[in-house]
Amino acid sequence: MHRPVARPARVLAAAVAMLALVACGGQPQDPPTAAQSPGTTPATTAPGEPVIACGDPIEGFAVTHDADGEPIPERTSPTEDVTLLTEPTTAVVADDGVDPVGTAPQPQLPVTVESCDGEVVEVTDTSRILAVDLYGTLAEIVFSLGLGDSVVGRDTSTGFPEAEHLPVVTPGAHDLNAEAILELNPSVVLTDASIGPTEVQLQLRDAGIPVIFFDDARSLDTIPTHIRAVAGALGVPDAGEQLVERTYAEITAALDAAPAAEEAPAIAFLYLRGGMVQLLGGPGSGADSLIRAIGARDVGTEAGLERPFTQISAETIISVHPDVLLLMSAGLDSVNGPEGLSLVPGLAQTEAVQDGRVVDMDDAVLLSFGPRTGRVVAALAEAVYE
Amino acid sequence: MTATATAPDRTAPHPPQSHRGRGWWLITGTAVALVLVCVVAAGAGQLAVPPGEVAGSILRRVDTGLEWLLGAVGLHVDLPLDRITGPTHPQGDAALWQVRFPRIALAVLVGAALAVAGALMQGVFGNPLAEPAIIGVSPGAAVGASLAIVAGLDVLGSWTVPVAAFVAALGTTLLVYSLSRSKGRTESITLILTGVAVTAIASAVVAFNTFIASPTAREQIVFWQLGSLNGARWQAVAVVAPFVVVGVVVSLFLSRRLDLLALGDRSARHLGVNVERLRVLAIVVIALLVGAGVAFAGVIAFVGLVVPHLVRLVAGPGHRLLLPASALGGALLLTVADLVARTAVPFADLPLGMLTSIVGGPFFLWLMRRMRSSHGGWA
Repeated sequence: MHRPVARPARVLAAAVAMLALVACGGQPQDPPTAAQSPGTTPATTAPGEPVIACGDPIEGFAVTHDADGEPIPERTSPTEDVTLLTEPTTAVVADDGVDPVGTAPQPQLPVTVESCDGEVVEVTDTSRILAVDLYGTLAEIVFSLGLGDSVVGRDTSTGFPEAEHLPVVTPGAHDLNAEAILELNPSVVLTDASIGPTEVQLQLRDAGIPVIFFDDARSLDTIPTHIRAVAGALGVPDAGEQLVERTYAEITAALDAAPAAEEAPAIAFLYLRGGMVQLLGGPGSGADSLIRAIGARDVGTEAGLERPFTQISAETIISVHPDVLLLMSAGLDSVNGPEGLSLVPGLAQTEAVQDGRVVDMDDAVLLSFGPRTGRVVAALAEAVYE
Repeated sequence: MTATATAPDRTAPHPPQSHRGRGWWLITGTAVALVLVCVVAAGAGQLAVPPGEVAGSILRRVDTGLEWLLGAVGLHVDLPLDRITGPTHPQGDAALWQVRFPRIALAVLVGAALAVAGALMQGVFGNPLAEPAIIGVSPGAAVGASLAIVAGLDVLGSWTVPVAAFVAALGTTLLVYSLSRSKGRTESITLILTGVAVTAIASAVVAFNTFIASPTAREQIVFWQLGSLNGARWQAVAVVAPFVVVGVVVSLFLSRRLDLLALGDRSARHLGVNVERLRVLAIVVIALLVGAGVAFAGVIAFVGLVVPHLVRLVAGPGHRLLLPASALGGALLLTVADLVARTAVPFADLPLGMLTSIVGGPFFLWLMRRMRSSHGGWA
């Protein structure tokens, strides 16, 4: 049976030879837009050291320490009694929009950044920014710095009005599509490990675009680090400091409004999807940080959970005795609203559900821990306490 | 198909010429179709590059390569091939060479690997339902991948999950094989049943990993199990290619013995085939092929089942035709499926395994019904 194999074999050999020639062709002729050699005037205030994208979080930011890690005096708690909510409430952030800290700050470029994955990246052009992560934090920071006009695309979690017109780069499944991103021709990509696949982010780097990975942890403590890292990477460190100060002021103001209870209520953060999926938030869920910030106790952390989210059985939720249930709005919808909660075994038997102490909040806003966190804390405190 | 001059003799069995003729057409036809699909796929994607610019980009590289070659032997010529304009979009060249072409190359390699692995399995176990998933290779690979994802391992950077999947695939195959040996022999049924049991255990482990995973890791595991070629880079192609090429070439050498095996274990032994050694060799090749196939692409089911059967329905069960035709057919199927996966929905990338199953399953049912009425069973 040599005849049927010979002809395709010759074609294959020709194809392989062509492939080898093409491989010898090497790199593309035209270098892509970014990553040029720095013949431009160096930034006046840029030090010799690269901006670190993965800085250390400031523990207790806005609760016990200020933006530089210095301890702040303890808040005086109001003496009035605290009453919890009596009917299911949706915590709504007062203003949905983003408040830029200034108008169009001038980036001082080029900037050298040490990305979280160890690569040192040089940013020379910030006219076409793409900031994508699972929670929408990075985009929120970019817009709050006043660089919103330079953004060319957004992720699904970025829903504020100023970004609505931008094409969504991660529909549905939080999965990036390399070609679609390349079509937008970004000049710098800000991202982290919460979104993927990593190979696509690396492909963008292969294409010559500076890709910077930031820390994917999210809590109150990481807010100043993220703001400073993003601002530094985009060449606007002064605007970054302004934003950190403003965010600190907003959060402390919100905390002042939140009464510190003598007996701090126990709040359980639940991730619900239908009746079967019930994940209780524990240390590192993000919500634990917010819950402590409004002077309450996080049930998951106190119960000794070790992971950010744990699938629990119906009996567990009864045994932990939450005073208040905190849910994401999509989770509440998946069980058909507050009425549906009383049909879910386990939840229905908790006092929190029976007495209507259920708070829900929009997913995109609740865990993003960006510059608007002050508003989130205020909204949460207003919903939980009456 | 090929017309015969004489009237068919109903009492005589099918003359081998007609099958051989069909086989020749099948292989050439599939090869041509594959090349055409690759060309179409090279020009289609979410970053629109007109076919002329695609050709221009390729020719510029060929031009540089040829000029370099000629320069190396002392001839400094400026060839006119680079006069053709390349992509006008600033990222067009990068999209073609960093994103699209490695993905097409990987689709061809993975498709060929999975189809040949399926054909080998059906031959070695004499079971038309045999598929890599049945002897536990795919679920085993899922165990490795899910462990790497849940543990957040980063020892090899972005290579960690593929290497874990590959090692797990090999380990599971060898485990199943050694568990099903008795008295120096491995019966088909025992092997398949052991594979079913190991699959059940592997699925349980993956389910546990899914349970303890954070929401992000859980999504990663689920999507790994759905299969995708998103993010294929040349490094992945470079790693997968040797395994696939070696696997397919070695399997071609097994063709004659596999044909004899189809007569039954005893008959094959009487005809001089060392059945046990054949099985071991085939299983190692299968493990390598499927391991390479799933390492970077995740679990893509169904290719190993449908493609060999389609080939058999057209060209008969002879392995000399079946194996190369399956390789080409599998490559063709997966390239088309991947083309749809990455262009169907703007900005999105559909899971590949879902597409191959959704389209292949009903098609296979229809084909079975059609062939059963005219052929009366499996060849």
